[in-house]
Amino acid sequence: MSQYGFYFDKEKCVGCRACEVACQVWNEAVQTVKWRNVTCLTRGTYPEVAGVNASLACMHCAESPCKKACPRTAISKNEETGAVTVDRTRCVGCMLCLWTCPFGAPQMGEMGRMEKCTFCEERPVGVIKRACEEICPQQAIVSGTIEELILRSKQVAAERLSWDARTEVVLGHEEE
Amino acid sequence: MSQQTTREIINGIRGTKTVPGVCMICPWHCPTENFVKDGRIEYVRGNEYAANRTTRCVKGISSIHSSRDKDRLLYPMKRNSAGVHERISWDQALTEIAGRLKKIKDEFGPESLVSLFHLDSNEMFTHQLFGHLYGSPNLSGHGAACDQDRRLAALSTFAHPLPVKDYANSRFVMLWGADPFGPNEALHENRELLEAMKRGCRLIVVDPNRSRTAEKAHIWLPIKPGTDGALALAIAHRIVETQSYDKSFCDEWVHGLAEFSEHVLSNGYTPQWAEGITGIAKETIIAVADEFAATKPALMDGLKGLVNYTTGLDALRTVFALNVITGNIDGPGNLILKEMSPLGFPLEIPEEEATIPEKPPIAYGMGYPLAPDLPTQLLPKAVLEDDPYPVKALFFHVCNPAMSDPNTRLFEKMMAAVELSVTVDIYMSETAQLSEYVLPEASTYERAEVRESMWAGPQTVLAQPAIAPLGESRPYYEIIKGLAEKMGYGAYFAWDSWEDWARTCTAYLPVPYEELKEKGVWEGELRYRKYNTDGVPTSTGKFEVYSTMFEEMGYHPLPVFNEEHRVKPDADYPFQLVNCKMQYHCGTHTQNNPYLMAIVGENYVEINSLDAARLDVREGDLVEVASPHARATIRVRTSEAVQPGVARVPHGHGFGRRFGSIARGRGTHINPLFETRANPVSGGISFNECKVKITKA
Repeated sequence: MSQYGFYFDKEKCVGCRACEVACQVWNEAVQTVKWRNVTCLTRGTYPEVAGVNASLACMHCAESPCKKACPRTAISKNEETGAVTVDRTRCVGCMLCLWTCPFGAPQMGEMGRMEKCTFCEERPVGVIKRACEEICPQQAIVSGTIEELILRSKQVAAERLSWDARTEVVLGHEEE
Repeated sequence: MSQQTTREIINGIRGTKTVPGVCMICPWHCPTENFVKDGRIEYVRGNEYAANRTTRCVKGISSIHSSRDKDRLLYPMKRNSAGVHERISWDQALTEIAGRLKKIKDEFGPESLVSLFHLDSNEMFTHQLFGHLYGSPNLSGHGAACDQDRRLAALSTFAHPLPVKDYANSRFVMLWGADPFGPNEALHENRELLEAMKRGCRLIVVDPNRSRTAEKAHIWLPIKPGTDGALALAIAHRIVETQSYDKSFCDEWVHGLAEFSEHVLSNGYTPQWAEGITGIAKETIIAVADEFAATKPALMDGLKGLVNYTTGLDALRTVFALNVITGNIDGPGNLILKEMSPLGFPLEIPEEEATIPEKPPIAYGMGYPLAPDLPTQLLPKAVLEDDPYPVKALFFHVCNPAMSDPNTRLFEKMMAAVELSVTVDIYMSETAQLSEYVLPEASTYERAEVRESMWAGPQTVLAQPAIAPLGESRPYYEIIKGLAEKMGYGAYFAWDSWEDWARTCTAYLPVPYEELKEKGVWEGELRYRKYNTDGVPTSTGKFEVYSTMFEEMGYHPLPVFNEEHRVKPDADYPFQLVNCKMQYHCGTHTQNNPYLMAIVGENYVEINSLDAARLDVREGDLVEVASPHARATIRVRTSEAVQPGVARVPHGHGFGRRFGSIARGRGTHINPLFETRANPVSGGISFNECKVKITKA
């Protein structure tokens, strides 16, 4: 079994929400229920303002708290991809999955059943991108197996070093 | 499996067919792919063969709704004597409009027709019918409400109206009042800029607002509104004083460096001088100037945040001059003087059949001889006072000055007075509501399009109809063909389908038509430093930091910082109003989109939380925003990103919008607050020359 997941680059996300809508369009979801959601935060006082834009969907956790919490065993984990999905014919809409999810990922759908990211289950993994990933103008979202994503984050860090003229850099504190 | 394209994989999953298209949400026109099944658009994304690849912005992906929107215009309409629009047949509409256009031409000359367009969609047909055949010189895009100052500044410096950016190869990018990561711009540039930053490219953003782009910047300069020109001149002063310009490039390719240098030094445009005006410390100005001069390749560009002030034209001239004197032009990582694809016109009209207008475009007579586009805000003068000569017919194509121009009341008065008004649109826009005839256009999903993309090299987009037009709506080329036949020009429009004229337009491209049709785009070679082989088409044959074009027309050949036309906040009206764009909507035509309206359902006035506390208002409260001309009630948003003393209002919502069931009644139309102010040289509308007071409603 593989475990697939999302890599998200906060340096690239501009909070445009194209991922939210691509998810809704591909998955024929209604416009008000968001399987992927972008949160934009700012703090500080003008002009000393900082913030982050974060596009988050289900993390398809290895040990999924939602799956454990569901009293109807409506949530299952795909053997091949690790994707966590809801069987809407078994769900009764009790929302226990939402309350236990540390990311607030499962959403109440219009029919009173829970809905969530399916990792675009129709799209073959490792062959084409997920809808959110395909549309993202900045390519801030990348999907892959956890091993691929870990490798990727190391490569991204190394790439930064390769363009830095200085001989010694404390990564993450380059500007200091 | 690996042999398949991702298009084919998606088609396999969904049972769809891919039809290449083009996004018509904003004027950057990214190439797209539409996935169709049984006459329905199932999914849309970017064109994987184009620079934007499979990506779309939020407005682009949401625009799938316009292929299904029940609120679209479905049949031609004519306003009756009671002022109500009634359904008529295409034949009646085209016969009547053609007859009246002919009568107007006979009585007043072809110059009395003004044809305005916004999205430049299939506008080659406008040019051929209303320009070549009918003979009107008054055909214009929406530039006056948009990038007019940038266009004129670019024309005077580079003799090129629309320089684009090669972020991918840049080491230093400085953006002035431009927010590509926020509202819009060519989408591939977003990815290229962020990837360049990962490789160590520096980003400097000049903007009073902590915009989406400012968020990502290494240095954000929170400048006082409208003072960018002073900052740019101070940077020029530092570069001239330290002689850190590119001397050998200037010797060969720049006209007027000596005059420019003398000008910035003798007028005392020092960093110290600019600090007092801009609020940016002189040490910072010097540091940025030195870094810019020392880093190559670099580029500087500016947009709405500059052109919205009367100071914007000279600010942009200075910004472009800075690119030029440091040798940063048309090379890798610079502003690129985009080369166009070799596209032809769709119709073959013999030269002797063309009508040559006897009078110049009305912009000349209005005192704006250098205006790249018609200053639309001055049209009421031509219609109501016959100044500079009578304008009797207004033809609008997907452009909505009733919403987008200042002084809405005057526009309404003009529309009531004009002899013939026709609007072609996919929605019942506010301008359509004020027009006598309303013609329904097929949406971008239902029509063909041959056009240039905004990629840095030559790139042609061939968009194709993916589904049948909704209701009785027709593609623009068929509307124009119908009109032309009624006007007696039918012989030139003797094509049967769009493919006939599309083949004519693309005949000179070095690609077989079938391959272009399959991919939807053709990409030529991106040539750098074209001036080496092609020269510079200014009158001096060089890039001009001393403008001979301005000098000939009696304007100052060098950029100055002149605030005489500024409208600054005062004790009675303490806020600077900024007419801005929203990241989640575009112009006035996305407010009936359920995806976008679920994200932001109405516009707002955004103020700093310190100002909100002083006014005793909270997020979501209704306030009254009043200028010396009009007032409007609108909801407040508080933000730490907005400069204290500034009130930002995104335009596009409101005006009791009737154009669709989702848009109706949402938000506030703010443009009646603006009096008509324009840059005195370019005629570009200075939307931000407006002071307001805010009180709790």
